[in-house]
Amino acid sequence: MEHLDLVMNSLLTVLQDFGLAAVPAVGFAMIFNVPKPALKYCAVAGAIGHALRFSLYKIGPLPVEWATLIAACIVSVIGIHWAQKWRAHPKVFTVAAMIPMIPGVYAFTALLAAVEIERKGFSPELLKTALDNGLKAFFIVAALAVGLALPGLLFYRRRPVV
Amino acid sequence: MEDRRMSTDTSSWIKADQREITRLCAQTGVMLLQHGAESALVESVARRLGLALGMDSLEVALMANGITVTTICEGRCHTTVRRNIDRGINMHVVTEVQRTMLLAEEKQLDLAGVGRRLGEIQPFRYPRLLVSVMVGLSCAAFARLGLLARGGEADFGTFLLTFIASGVAMQVRQYLAHLHFNPLVNFAAAAFVATSIAAQGVIHGWVDSPKVAMSACVLLFVPGFPLINAVSDMVKGYINTGISRGVMAVLLLLACCGGIICAMTAWNTWTWL
Repeated sequence: MEHLDLVMNSLLTVLQDFGLAAVPAVGFAMIFNVPKPALKYCAVAGAIGHALRFSLYKIGPLPVEWATLIAACIVSVIGIHWAQKWRAHPKVFTVAAMIPMIPGVYAFTALLAAVEIERKGFSPELLKTALDNGLKAFFIVAALAVGLALPGLLFYRRRPVV
Repeated sequence: MEDRRMSTDTSSWIKADQREITRLCAQTGVMLLQHGAESALVESVARRLGLALGMDSLEVALMANGITVTTICEGRCHTTVRRNIDRGINMHVVTEVQRTMLLAEEKQLDLAGVGRRLGEIQPFRYPRLLVSVMVGLSCAAFARLGLLARGGEADFGTFLLTFIASGVAMQVRQYLAHLHFNPLVNFAAAAFVATSIAAQGVIHGWVDSPKVAMSACVLLFVPGFPLINAVSDMVKGYINTGISRGVMAVLLLLACCGGIICAMTAWNTWTWL
């Protein structure tokens, strides 16, 4: 019975994550001026990507970078499928779908820590903050971009996706 | 005498069609670059358009802020260079340009048709107010997502504060972009506005967790598209354009940091570190 409760709780959290992640995907798709009919694809892809990553690294055992890579890769496969149906480059949908996973807080924390080192002088704690957060941000962005490129690199080596 | 013969030779050397095709391919490439397409896409669309219009081959060289296109037809080369001015990310233009190329490949458009269709593309933009509301909601969702990942909780006011701060900042950002300010100046000013509004929550104690609002309200400034494009350019071998996009993205982030630090100093609320 307790076990069932735990499963239900995790399921609810993932569902909540799924719903919440769709909002920034659409919001940023509007900044990128994605055509109106494609907005729903951005929402679904963003939600799938973020919820998948959440379940892989919060509930599952993976580190966040690997979870990001797998999630980005799966969103990319879905994006290629839609792109061929809709006659547009997959990045039209998939980049907006990656936005909820972009490590914004890590990037800002790293840069602010670097500025603090300049203002207050060197301290090991600040350097640790800058390096930890900066590397995390870099690796997550790299995982996103490589994950998006991976299906193309593996299966569309000699022919275009669309 | 010698000069005149030279000039008549060069004008007859290249057929008018080839010149027009080179120009169209360069225009295609520049339109894609200006509106934020990745380098691999720019090169493949320009090349496929040239081949579809009957060239033997087409070479594209991309630079950080320009494009060179050479068409080769029956052993004759024609080269042109275009400067690239950033027009902001617009996936609508990218989609339309790519569909023009696909129609040309399917022989549904001829040379004149491609020129007409490219000329008719008007960059589509969403209404500014709608974008600001959606971005405000996005940042509020970011705040909730961050809490969800950490297992934390916050009251409704925190999300409302995030929504207002980022929505107003987005409105400022779009207004400054409309006035053609440099993006770096624009981002610094808008980040100042966002942090200033969120800082009121810290000062007046309106909300439970103002720190969450402070960090979530500036997430609209993270240049996600340039960052992803930078890495995927470099993965696909376009190191040059990848580096320039990456450096621009980091500069934009630094400009935002400048705005955040100014605001935190002005209101004396150091919540980030």
